Amino acid sequence: MDHGQAIELIDLEVSFERDARRVVAFTGVSLQATAGRFVVLIGPSGCGKSTLLRVIADLLAVGTGRVQVFGKAPAQVREARRISFVFQDATLLPWRSVLDNVRLPLQVGNWRRVDRDSRQPEDLIRLVGLAGREDALPHELSGGQRQRVSIARALVTNPDILLMDEPFGALDEITRDRLNDELLRIWRETRTTIVFVTHSLSEAAFLGQSVVVMGANPGRIIEEIALDTRKPDNRIDRTSTEFFAITSQLRAVLERAYGDKAGS
Amino acid sequence: MRVSATWLWPISGAASLFALWWGVVVFFEVRPFIAPNPFAVISALWTNRSLLLLNLAPTATEALCGFLLGNLVAVTLATVFIHSATLRRMYFPVAVIFNTIPIIALSPVLILLFGLSIASKVIIAAVICLFPTLVNMIRGFESVSASELELMRVMSASRREVFFRLRLPRSMPFLFAALRIACTTSVIGAIVSEWIGTDTGIGVLIIQATFDYRTELLYAAIVTSSALALAMFGTVALLEHLFVRWRTS
Repeated sequence: MDHGQAIELIDLEVSFERDARRVVAFTGVSLQATAGRFVVLIGPSGCGKSTLLRVIADLLAVGTGRVQVFGKAPAQVREARRISFVFQDATLLPWRSVLDNVRLPLQVGNWRRVDRDSRQPEDLIRLVGLAGREDALPHELSGGQRQRVSIARALVTNPDILLMDEPFGALDEITRDRLNDELLRIWRETRTTIVFVTHSLSEAAFLGQSVVVMGANPGRIIEEIALDTRKPDNRIDRTSTEFFAITSQLRAVLERAYGDKAGS
Repeated sequence: MRVSATWLWPISGAASLFALWWGVVVFFEVRPFIAPNPFAVISALWTNRSLLLLNLAPTATEALCGFLLGNLVAVTLATVFIHSATLRRMYFPVAVIFNTIPIIALSPVLILLFGLSIASKVIIAAVICLFPTLVNMIRGFESVSASELELMRVMSASRREVFFRLRLPRSMPFLFAALRIACTTSVIGAIVSEWIGTDTGIGVLIIQATFDYRTELLYAAIVTSSALALAMFGTVALLEHLFVRWRTS
């Protein structure tokens, strides 16, 4: 795995039209992440964190500024099938079984033309703890299980970068903690670059090697907090005082991000 | 036990209404040519079985061909409309206006155009089931979520793949809802088309039985046409049960 820049954003601004008015999603965003890094974006709603993820994935156009993913334009990286995206809702096709949902990325788009190695769908289903449920339909699974399937689907193309938009936002806390444990285990195994959007402080503290705190009105980066020295090998005990200290620090920065809006 | 109970309710409902019908006819001494009693209709069904079946054949052919043609055209039009905003803006309003023309007013026009052959009757049956399917299929194709479309785009899927892998399977519940409607409307179309210039069919039998005061035969013809629609409805429901096993969560 090369340790060049996976993501390089320079002075990025994205705006869009809404009700005949220009709305700035975020402005002046500069961010770098080396390959293999686990980056968490956190911030109040309207800070543009999901929009930022969509610009990296080439789901939205860049406004002004520069976006490079592995030294290339996002569109090129998307077309080379090096990106996977995990959505807030699992977005499984309800008429396909678990196995067929995981296979989907290998059946669609230009997969046969890009020269990449896929992973075995069956192995990934085992990796996310759903062995034996290959033939189940999505409506027969719980919310947490569905999100596990969507993670397996995202990994089947062996992506260089995995973008996750509040994937565990709708789950209860214990399920979320378990999936966070598993996500870190998967990340250690694959060393895929992950950009993870959340609005949970404890999730950000637990998952991130660095946590980018964003503010709203206009959307912008308030502070990037590197946690490498405080979480050796990105491991931390959820009950430790260090974890509590990190969460408290994030909380303080995030409250700044809310600014005048706090309590409103 | 459970299964038999679910069947028992509608059966007892229908039986109670039959009893009421029989009671009214007997109690008020309604003359048979005004309204026959239910047993007379059942016996008319049996004694006229060959006449009914002979006339059912053309009506069923027209209804079935019209059903297939109308729905095929509707699905094709819906496919074109969701891929071309321009064509949709140009022709969807035309379809809406066309749909406001009563089928009974349209039939003479179609018979003038296509003659007294089976073609005009099939087209009338097709026209009547076209619009509900068109509207339902456009809605079905558009019922994909924003994240489903984003998922397809991340995978660099082509428009063709988005259609066949996402929109078409997504629209299946909408298609079957439309087909259920079309089962009854296509039979209506076939019968109405037979009221003008033809000599066989359930529609013809209904008109003749009315003019001849053979009321029990009229009722038997109505039951036969209803049975045709019911058989088509049952087939559609069975196909839906076989092919749409998934549920949206």
